[in-house]
Amino acid sequence: MAESRDDFIIAIRSAFLKKSTKQKFSLLTLAFFSIFIIVLSNLNFKAITVTKSVIKEIVYRSSFIVSIPENFIKSSYLNLNEYSTFYQDFKRIEEELDQLKSENISTKIIKSENEELKSLIDGYSFTSNKILAKVIVDHESPFLRSIIINKGSKEKIKIGTNIYDRNYLVGRVIEVNYTNSRVLLLTDLNSNIPVSIIPGNVQAIVVGNGDKKGEIKYIKNDLINKINDEGIAYTSGTGSIFRSGTPVGTVDLKNENEKILINFYSDFTQLKYVFAEIDELMPTTVEIEENNQTNVSSNTEQIKLDLISDELQILEESNTKFLKENKELNTLSNELTKQIEILKAENEFQKNVIQQHDLNQEELEFLRLNLIYSAKCQSKKLFSKGFKVGTPEYKECIMRKGKISD
Amino acid sequence: MIKFEKKNLLYKIYTWLPILALFISVFNEFDLNYLNIDYFSFNFPFILIFYFVLKAYHRFDYLLVFLAGLFNDTVVGLPLGLSSLSYILICIFATYLRNITISPNLIKDWFYFLFIISLINSINFSVLFLFFSYELDITLFIINNFFTFLFYIVFSIFFKRFLKSLND
Repeated sequence: MAESRDDFIIAIRSAFLKKSTKQKFSLLTLAFFSIFIIVLSNLNFKAITVTKSVIKEIVYRSSFIVSIPENFIKSSYLNLNEYSTFYQDFKRIEEELDQLKSENISTKIIKSENEELKSLIDGYSFTSNKILAKVIVDHESPFLRSIIINKGSKEKIKIGTNIYDRNYLVGRVIEVNYTNSRVLLLTDLNSNIPVSIIPGNVQAIVVGNGDKKGEIKYIKNDLINKINDEGIAYTSGTGSIFRSGTPVGTVDLKNENEKILINFYSDFTQLKYVFAEIDELMPTTVEIEENNQTNVSSNTEQIKLDLISDELQILEESNTKFLKENKELNTLSNELTKQIEILKAENEFQKNVIQQHDLNQEELEFLRLNLIYSAKCQSKKLFSKGFKVGTPEYKECIMRKGKISD
Repeated sequence: MIKFEKKNLLYKIYTWLPILALFISVFNEFDLNYLNIDYFSFNFPFILIFYFVLKAYHRFDYLLVFLAGLFNDTVVGLPLGLSSLSYILICIFATYLRNITISPNLIKDWFYFLFIISLINSINFSVLFLFFSYELDITLFIINNFFTFLFYIVFSIFFKRFLKSLND
């Protein structure tokens, strides 16, 4: 027994600590080193962040180089496929182009309307600068759906920057290095997109299903019926994670598990180039024109002060107005209270009159019956069964129309 | 059968082939761990590391395995050091099995491999879920575990041939 335990300990020690001739480190050292890295990588020290960033830069570039042959084969295969369906595609595209041309005109109208309305709302609108980025690593992991793009903090990419394929949303940046960044795709399990679904304008959250589609979650049960098959989902802008009004995908209700799925417009496995949106707050054309007109004061601070003082004046005026109105309303309220009190007193009086009337009615009935049945109810002789006049028993007898007992 | 002149450059590259395969598999976009087929994936580095550490292949440096893990984490987007820890744990268990085995048996190795990958995948899942709040699908882990186990036998035949060609 003791020998077998010794053997076990020797084997364990040998596995953990013994280095063979070619090995530079023992396995135990490397295991501890791995744990140390896991812990360190979660701390936000500048040195660690820089080291991580450098490692990532090297690895991403190396991964890109190593993937060149594979990407070449893949692209050659896709090209061959494209050539084989060239004519059919041409016909289809021609039809689509005609349709898109007509749609484009209406889109332009809607866009200009939208700009106008936005400028009316707050005087500011977001203009976006989209920069083209190349997908350098598209490593499809079973657990994480992400891509690496060749634009980083150097090009003002930040965590949360929205990424597009043409005009369709693809994902958002979750990790930024100097010359590259990682984009979490919409299909990832950790991706949550607040969307509006039309027709019906249903608000929902689309969560990636870890495969090729998204799944609608967090929606009120009574709104599910409002969703149609092939309905369009676009970003609602809730939570300010994604810009509002960006197309995401179409609703797919043909699922066997009765889940409401979203077919994304973009095919995330075929991404070569994407657009990264860098938001900048720019004044609208209306404001620019106004600024040009009021060219007297070039000092923007002065303009702001003027605006604020104007606003203050308006507020003071409206405040006085409100105070006056308040006073008037108070007087009116007092008068109304008085009126209510008078009406209450009147009501009380009426109630008393009605009660008295009821009593009089009863008395009248008694007197009428008394004339008829008094002989039956009175006790005149020594052994008669009647009652003494004026007693409650006598009254009851009269009311029972002369019946002495029940 | 291809025969190499020893000390030839091509022969040297050939001896480094397992390590090269490991690094290509972690760097390359074409990941055997994810073949874009529904309910099918397997972890090639796990098989490779386990087999060659078990056979005490002299070119299989632990430090290189550790680095391959780091690169895998960076490319896949997992917390840095997690794959390194997984790979090193495989090395530890494989070395332990080698030390206690007197007469090697492929079937025993195979089931021991199942135990190890199940344990390591469980550790990975727990760490990612509990400490890093990753939303993960456990079915994918189970499928990956199952196919990695199945493919061990297939790959061990190729690896055996590779080692035999070197000894010849």
